[in-house]
Amino acid sequence: VSWTNDARSITAFVLLAVVAATLPFATRDLYIIGVATTILQNLLLAMSLRLVMNLGLLNLAHISLMGIGAYVSAALAMQLGMSFWLTLPIAASVAALMALALGGLTLQLHGPYFFLITFALLSITQLFFHSYFENIFGGATGLIGVPRPNPIGFGTFKIQMVDKVSLYYLIFAFWIVATAVLIRLEYSRLGMQCAAIKQSETVARAIGIHSIRCKLLILTLSGFIAGVAGVFFAHSRGVINATDFGVDPMLRLLVFVVVGGVGNIWGPVVGTIGLSVIFEFLRDLHFLETLVYGAVLIAVMRLFPAGVIGTFQWASAIGNRWQAAKHDAA
Amino acid sequence: MLVPTLILQALLNGASVAIVYILVALGLSLIFSIMGIINFAHGEFYMFGGFTAYYMSEVAGVNYLFTLVAAFIAVGALGFLVERLLFGPLRTQPLSGFIASLGLLLLMQAIATALFGVVDKAVHSPFPGVSRGYGLVISNERLFVMFASAALIALLYSFLRWGKQGLALRAVAQERDSASLLGINVDLVSGLAFGVGCGLAGAAGALLAPVFYVSPTMGEQPIVKAFIIIIIGGMGSLPGAVAGGILLGLLESIGPIFFSVATVEMLGFTAIVVLLLFKPTGLAKS
Repeated sequence: VSWTNDARSITAFVLLAVVAATLPFATRDLYIIGVATTILQNLLLAMSLRLVMNLGLLNLAHISLMGIGAYVSAALAMQLGMSFWLTLPIAASVAALMALALGGLTLQLHGPYFFLITFALLSITQLFFHSYFENIFGGATGLIGVPRPNPIGFGTFKIQMVDKVSLYYLIFAFWIVATAVLIRLEYSRLGMQCAAIKQSETVARAIGIHSIRCKLLILTLSGFIAGVAGVFFAHSRGVINATDFGVDPMLRLLVFVVVGGVGNIWGPVVGTIGLSVIFEFLRDLHFLETLVYGAVLIAVMRLFPAGVIGTFQWASAIGNRWQAAKHDAA
Repeated sequence: MLVPTLILQALLNGASVAIVYILVALGLSLIFSIMGIINFAHGEFYMFGGFTAYYMSEVAGVNYLFTLVAAFIAVGALGFLVERLLFGPLRTQPLSGFIASLGLLLLMQAIATALFGVVDKAVHSPFPGVSRGYGLVISNERLFVMFASAALIALLYSFLRWGKQGLALRAVAQERDSASLLGINVDLVSGLAFGVGCGLAGAAGALLAPVFYVSPTMGEQPIVKAFIIIIIGGMGSLPGAVAGGILLGLLESIGPIFFSVATVEMLGFTAIVVLLLFKPTGLAKS
């Protein structure tokens, strides 16, 4: 069974990567490229959030990790004039360290206590960037004029990271690497330990799995990926504000993840791409967006708690069983 | 002489708002003790209460005191329905219930924006003028808010202490299965608890409507205060919520004299983090 899952996963990955890689050849419409760039950036966030939610940890401070990546990178670039290629690993590592610290502080808490504390941390981070160290983080106005990523290349061959297409390929490259790591993780020792923890933490610990260590590693990895998304966000948009990392964007991210389902690595991909595309078609009904997000969250929790992919798998399992029963009867 | 008066005046102003946040927190805590879920959409019930007061007293011209009762009943009925349709069926999955409450927050805010618009609306105070005494000044509407809130808290206490349904409610909070064995309709009681909790939030929104403005985002502030209050007091503990509210009121009214507003806000959130880490049962129980 794991071979078919494996093959399916990799086929989906390759297909998606090919479609994404050829998109700028298929259309010259810069608006579409811009939307696709946002989708890829949200994919990094949604896929890393799913990783921790899969362990039952609803980390509401996930968006803050993105914010830390964005603010640290922007501040380093603007205050010290550091290159994007240097601030990227530094800022993402800072986000990863903060995720590790968050885990170290909060993993002793369970259920509602965990998400309440992450909610408080979200508010603290937002308030910090909004009201403190105004000369570095820009206060209520935020940071304006974050430089574009520096050109990359050797000698006379240089790629300028200025136009929308090259920025699109930059986030595409980040997404490819992150997704490859996440797929590999599913089949690694750590991934299997996480699957065991998900089924029953008590049993997992009884057979010698260090569950806190697994959760810390997963949180750190998710923090790093969210940090990368934040760095890209800051340098591609050029403007960041503390409200970009508040409750509203966090809830949107949550919708992307739960609609697709947290049980599968492709759940957030289906949720993010599906909802983003639907909302592009409903662009004129923009004011309905919050309404639809809320209604979708409620409907999914009430009717399809496993998300789109989970429900599909469940339906196909029922179908298989039905087929088998028919076969037995014949 | 000046400094104590200044501090007393700050305390008085703080108390008149803090007591309303205690109402919101009591409802939140009541719901948590029965359902085991944290209702993130609780501030939206508060907001609906504010709009009930606005439309009844400003648009329809009903007596303001009557709109308070109406806000409690209307928002309470809405809460009852929401529990029966949404949170009741999700009671065994706290994570799903919690995510659903986040969805409800977005949904109710969007509905309010669509129905009522984004422009702040003012509700005229039924008690204009100010009262003076001991060198202190307070507006009559704030005075009324304090007395009405205290009365509501006393009513809630009597209901839980002496009412038959209140007794059933406490039994369900203590041990759901045993309560069911004793013949208590636990589903109905859950709906009732949710309704009463939301009704309190609705009444609180109607009470503060003349003090502040009414807008679709007015629920964001009190819900955060209510979280801080129930964490200080211990989640599910009603006396704790009152104590937590008094502590937060003290911090918020005296704090700004010494620190910046952002620092005071930061202190509240830091209190959540520190208390959850070291004393998740709150300060009230030892």
